[in-house]
Amino acid sequence: MVLKAKPLKFSGLQKEVLSLYRSCLRATRNKPIEKRQHWVNFIHGEFGKYRSIPKRDFSAIEHLLRLGRRRMDMYASPLITDVN
Amino acid sequence: MIRTVQLRPITRSLLRVSGFRSISLTQTRSYSHAPPLTKEIITERIIELLESYNKVKPGTVIDYSSSFHKDLGLDSFDTVEVIMEIEYEFSITIPDSDADSLKTVGQAVEYIAQQPDAC
Repeated sequence: MVLKAKPLKFSGLQKEVLSLYRSCLRATRNKPIEKRQHWVNFIHGEFGKYRSIPKRDFSAIEHLLRLGRRRMDMYASPLITDVN
Repeated sequence: MIRTVQLRPITRSLLRVSGFRSISLTQTRSYSHAPPLTKEIITERIIELLESYNKVKPGTVIDYSSSFHKDLGLDSFDTVEVIMEIEYEFSITIPDSDADSLKTVGQAVEYIAQQPDAC
């Protein structure tokens, strides 16, 4: 596969983080519409907490990714409708 | 254009089972054609969407060549959100690999224009 040279190319790990972020936001579409903003704010907050982690800190990011995926699976349950 | 939608036989038999009388249901829906999705319309809709996005500073001039990151000051997380809103707006799903490569309004417009089921 030939990769086109583009500015601002993401590393594999960055792509994984963005992909998790995207799946989290997609999951909010299954929540009641009036509670959706709570979820979006929650996701912003959770990702925002770790914004300052240096992008070379692979093991920390990988750990957080695993944690994030597990938490997303948990929160995606239809039994959970709201978050604060 | 007038289209007649008739419930398929299987649906009707389901209705019968659940206590409904066997009636022939015919739904008629009339609607006009949606305007064709031209690049101008796509650009307009995307720009409108970006103008209403609270992380873009009000008063920022957005045009076809605006880059999400450089001109609008959005970070990669915000760009993901914008792309998702665009997906929602045009009722399509953009796979991750394509979504990561959309960096300007123009690229997004070209991408949407290529999607046959965008509306």
